[in-house]
Amino acid sequence: MSTSADQKGEVIVETRNLTKTYKDFWGRSKVHALKALDLNVRRGEIFGLLGPNGSGKSTTIKLLLGLLFPTSGEALVFGKDAADVSKNERIGYLPEESYLYKFLNAEETLDFYGRLFNMSAARRKSRIRDLINLIDLDWAKRRQLKEYSKGMTRRIGLAQALINDPELIVLDEPTTGLDPIGTRDMKDLIVRLRDQGKTILMCSHLLADVQDVCDRIAILHQGELKELGAVDSLLSVQDITQIQAKNLTPDTEEAIRKLIADNQGELISMENPTTTLEDLFLSIVRDSESRPGFVSRKEGVEQQEETATTE
Amino acid sequence: MVVDQSEFKSFGIWFFSYMVDFAMLALFMLVGWAILAFALAAIRNSPGRAAKMIVGTIKRAFFVDFPRTSIRRTMAMSRLAIQEAIRNKVLIIFVLFIALLLFAGWFLDVENDHPARLYLGFVLSASTYLLLALGIFLSAFSLPNDIKNRTIYTITTKPVRAHEIFLGRVFGFAAVGTLLLVLMASVSYGFVKRGLDHDHTIDKTAIEWDEATGLGTGKTSLNAYHRHEFTINRNLENADGLIGTTELAKGHSHNIYLRGDDYIVGSPTGDLLARVPVYGALSFLDRYGKPSEEGGLNVGKEWTYRSYIEGNTLNTAIWEFENLTEDMFVTSGSEGVLPLELNLRVFRSTKGKIESRIHGEILLVNPEDKLPTEQRFSAPIPFEADEFVTSQVNIKFSDIHRQNPKTGALENINLFKHLVDGGKLQVHIRCKDRAQFFGMARADVYIRAPEGSFEANLIKCYLGIWMQMLLVILLGVFFSTFLNGIVALISSVAIIAMGMFAGFIGDIQTGEAPGGGPIESIVRNITQQGATLELEMGDTAIEVIESLDGFYLNTMESLAKLAPDFSKFNMSSKVAYGYDIHRDLILKQLVTTMVYFFVLVLAGYFILTSREIAA
Repeated sequence: MSTSADQKGEVIVETRNLTKTYKDFWGRSKVHALKALDLNVRRGEIFGLLGPNGSGKSTTIKLLLGLLFPTSGEALVFGKDAADVSKNERIGYLPEESYLYKFLNAEETLDFYGRLFNMSAARRKSRIRDLINLIDLDWAKRRQLKEYSKGMTRRIGLAQALINDPELIVLDEPTTGLDPIGTRDMKDLIVRLRDQGKTILMCSHLLADVQDVCDRIAILHQGELKELGAVDSLLSVQDITQIQAKNLTPDTEEAIRKLIADNQGELISMENPTTTLEDLFLSIVRDSESRPGFVSRKEGVEQQEETATTE
Repeated sequence: MVVDQSEFKSFGIWFFSYMVDFAMLALFMLVGWAILAFALAAIRNSPGRAAKMIVGTIKRAFFVDFPRTSIRRTMAMSRLAIQEAIRNKVLIIFVLFIALLLFAGWFLDVENDHPARLYLGFVLSASTYLLLALGIFLSAFSLPNDIKNRTIYTITTKPVRAHEIFLGRVFGFAAVGTLLLVLMASVSYGFVKRGLDHDHTIDKTAIEWDEATGLGTGKTSLNAYHRHEFTINRNLENADGLIGTTELAKGHSHNIYLRGDDYIVGSPTGDLLARVPVYGALSFLDRYGKPSEEGGLNVGKEWTYRSYIEGNTLNTAIWEFENLTEDMFVTSGSEGVLPLELNLRVFRSTKGKIESRIHGEILLVNPEDKLPTEQRFSAPIPFEADEFVTSQVNIKFSDIHRQNPKTGALENINLFKHLVDGGKLQVHIRCKDRAQFFGMARADVYIRAPEGSFEANLIKCYLGIWMQMLLVILLGVFFSTFLNGIVALISSVAIIAMGMFAGFIGDIQTGEAPGGGPIESIVRNITQQGATLELEMGDTAIEVIESLDGFYLNTMESLAKLAPDFSKFNMSSKVAYGYDIHRDLILKQLVTTMVYFFVLVLAGYFILTSREIAA
């Protein structure tokens, strides 16, 4: 888990009483998408917007990017109004879907977005080379995006968001459409970018992703801010102590149980931990990559398969 | 050829009045946008916030966004538009054009009397309609597709200004259109040249010779659906062997050369022209020789473009030409000639000999009316005119005479010394045959200045098509900033149609075109009442109909004034009829295009910045 950002750092993103109400043609309110949101995102932190579908996460991001106009309140990025185009010089944005031009190839795509930042030809060239290496698409850089898989499109989408080496990176559901390896790579990259001093604002409904990378989170529900704070402090359970140990004998375990009971404590569980499916999957894939052709199956899995076949 | 009256207005005079109109239009658009944007923003927000947003947008536009326009960003957007268009296979339009040319022989009248006009009219019309259709489809759907596919999100979240998005589209599509236009123009030129090129041969045994004069007459072979009569002079001794020229047929003639014992007919000449007309101002004298306030006579034709003068009376049409100088007509080594061309219409009130031409006379007159009459007028110069035939009257300076008031004898006079006053000369035309009429408009009689280049004229015509295409693209992109693709397309077509029929709408509104507005026309149709008759209904019903029509027509006329008049950009008839496109006409069109360019870019900017892209 990453360290918390400096709470006294420079405020990069700020919303003040930010409200968005969708109205019909006659001005009648249809949906209150966001209600009086007050947020600060500071330099160098990974800030997560969390919430179920329709909670206002994407609306908040669109308001900050100037894609929507607030009904009331203010959205400031680098101290500028969200409608000010010049703020975009310092922003990189990865939309929820990679909305890219399918008739361009990867190099043309990055070159096009580089030009939009008024980058010189030499700088574009070097940035494109670096980013294509970063997203590991060198082998497919001349293929039109319409031939790309969803994961590849997502990666090129990320590359376009980084073309200008932005200070603030806005990621809308960054792991959507990625396989577990891609998801892990994306999360590692997010952390790496933070370590390079970038500020990251991301929204996701995948709780594990947010938990893995975010320093601070805001939880939205029905357009309202329900919780805001550092992930560590929000998730820590103060009245439960967790001890993890290795190579304990049954006697030692029994002694620990007794010690807890003697001290009026309540033992909730004592068991062998399981790994996550993500970790298992990644270890199998990495093992397979290092030893092509080698089949390794766990005994329990084989037995279950045999039983199923006999039946 | 019909010439619009507005063409006679010089660029300088036109420019001032047009710029006033432009300023009004720009102001109207800005105020209109501000009111509309305020109203919409006030509905969605509070009036105070709406006002703040509008002021903020205007300030940002003029102090931040426009000064920070980036050529690289704009060109990137253009490049994208070009790539999008080409990968959407728009070059198929060129293939379609080639296919049209390949099968042109199936539907073009190959026996037409004016093949040059036919071919030029065809290729220019085909190029125009294909390009305009392309421009409208590309421009109307591109931005709405970006918004629909949300690819616009990755553009507007970059430091791209709204007008750069707008300009990028316009430049990109214009570049694609320009490429197609150049390809079409090149192929068209080859098609016309090849279509008109043909040979004739002369059977020398069939030539009838006049042994006394050495003149031979005959007919060429029948090729390309025609033959030429010719007269040759075997006594001529030109270095290149030129011994004569054929008569005109299908708008061209051929030189005839003597090579050894053979008579060779050269390539066709005179079918691809760029005549440079010098127009004069037209006025009339009535049948008693008094200046006429009403102009010429109306012989009962509904189309009032031309007026008529009556034969064998003092009814006279007067053209006054200005800024004439001697060097316009006198070339070194040859005699000076005043080359007049007359495209007079003939209206016969008695049948007579229908094949015979109508006789007329030309008087060259000094416009200085303080001079004694006998000093002002040249002796009459006779000519003949026929319907739909251009009469070329080349008046040699040595043929200009004046009657001596004392002796009554004709004496030769110097055109520039005796008749041209301060560069001005009047040409009076009268019809000599009783009960016959000559019809004329201002552009029907002109002095023909030295010929221009046909190729240069064709390029000017294509420039007009290019400007039409640019206007269509501008309109398409403009409408697509706030409408979806199909609605933007229909709106663009509506504005183009409105511009094309602006004159007609104005005529209906002023009552010049008979039949009334749409409701009155429907009523007349249903009740079977003629357009020129008084509408027969109750007074109240007529009042209601006229009020409704009046409201509709006033609205339409106001809208039509906002629309560019595309008919003014269409110069294909000038090229087809062999008239040089005057520089002033091109300048007027360029200015008009620039005005719409700036107004629509400005309007497009404000609309794009005022709309929520993700809404």
